[in-house]
Amino acid sequence: MTDRPDPDAALMLRVREGDFDAFEQLVEKYKQPVMNLVYRTLPDATEAEDLAQHVFLQVYKSAHRYEVSAKFSTWLFTIARNLCLNEIRRRSRHPADSLDATFPDSEDQPMRQVEDAKAVSAPDSVMQSELEDKIEEALGELPEKQRTAILLCRGEEHSYEEIAAILDCSVSATKSLIHRGRESLKELLKPYLRTGAWKEK
Amino acid sequence: MNETEYRELMEASWRRQLTAAEEARLQVWLAAHPDEQARWESESSLNQLLEQLPDVPVASNFTARVLQAVQREAVRPAARPFLRNLLHWLMPRRATGVAWVALALCVTWFAVYQAESNTKARRANELAIISRSALVSDPAVVEDFDAIRRLPYAEDEELFAVLNK
Repeated sequence: MTDRPDPDAALMLRVREGDFDAFEQLVEKYKQPVMNLVYRTLPDATEAEDLAQHVFLQVYKSAHRYEVSAKFSTWLFTIARNLCLNEIRRRSRHPADSLDATFPDSEDQPMRQVEDAKAVSAPDSVMQSELEDKIEEALGELPEKQRTAILLCRGEEHSYEEIAAILDCSVSATKSLIHRGRESLKELLKPYLRTGAWKEK
Repeated sequence: MNETEYRELMEASWRRQLTAAEEARLQVWLAAHPDEQARWESESSLNQLLEQLPDVPVASNFTARVLQAVQREAVRPAARPFLRNLLHWLMPRRATGVAWVALALCVTWFAVYQAESNTKARRANELAIISRSALVSDPAVVEDFDAIRRLPYAEDEELFAVLNK
């Protein structure tokens, strides 16, 4: 764990004291990474946003139990992963139930307003979009722990120690999960590894 | 650089872009180990593919919906959170709850034991009083009582005279 003070932990301590603005700041900062993880973890991506909102609701309800023993993001993503796993288990027992029944929309709020990120239909964009779909598809083929480890590994957001804490396993086990997941992805995405349409940096 | 350092560099590349110095060391290693070149290229290609993963679209009113859900949660009746917090304070873990139950059982058992002991002591004391009374009594008094019982009917004065003997 880093010795530098975690600014998000300070915000969360303010939330524990009832500071609503601090909570709003945390939601704004982490809604994207949480959505990225939840969207790619749940088999049904259309209800991922409801679950992502529920993650933050759970964070607020659990604020009184928050202690600064780890980074806030580690705690947040542990909650996110656990809620995803609970939802997967719930659906395996009751496949007919819908998440909308559990988290009903408020009548005051408009329908969710999602911008269409794929409105452009130029050829390069179509190829890029297809490539992204292939990558998403390949990630979906992985076992949950390997997929989660690889997703958390992206972008320097989490150290290996933090990823291990979220997955509740050792650092060496975490690296092993990532290695095995990457080997599977290399196999699934073999046609795209050398000749795929991606932008060279 | 050795095999371990090479593996650490590879693991670092999974999370971030390598620095210029790290790239230079890596190229020296790969030049000395050409059999690793193909593996490194596939790792590097996969890193580039994973970087292409876009952010998932998030609704523009996402935060507002979360805050509204939190506010709905905040106006729930206070009694339930109070009871929940009290239970959580009393029994933060299952072991603590078991300990509380065991303590309650011990206290109850001790109270019952103490009550029974007090009852026994009181009865023993009463028996002692009765037995002392029985020992002090003169058999003649008992006989007088028998005589009194055999009397068909006696005036009170006569009865008192017999008792005062």
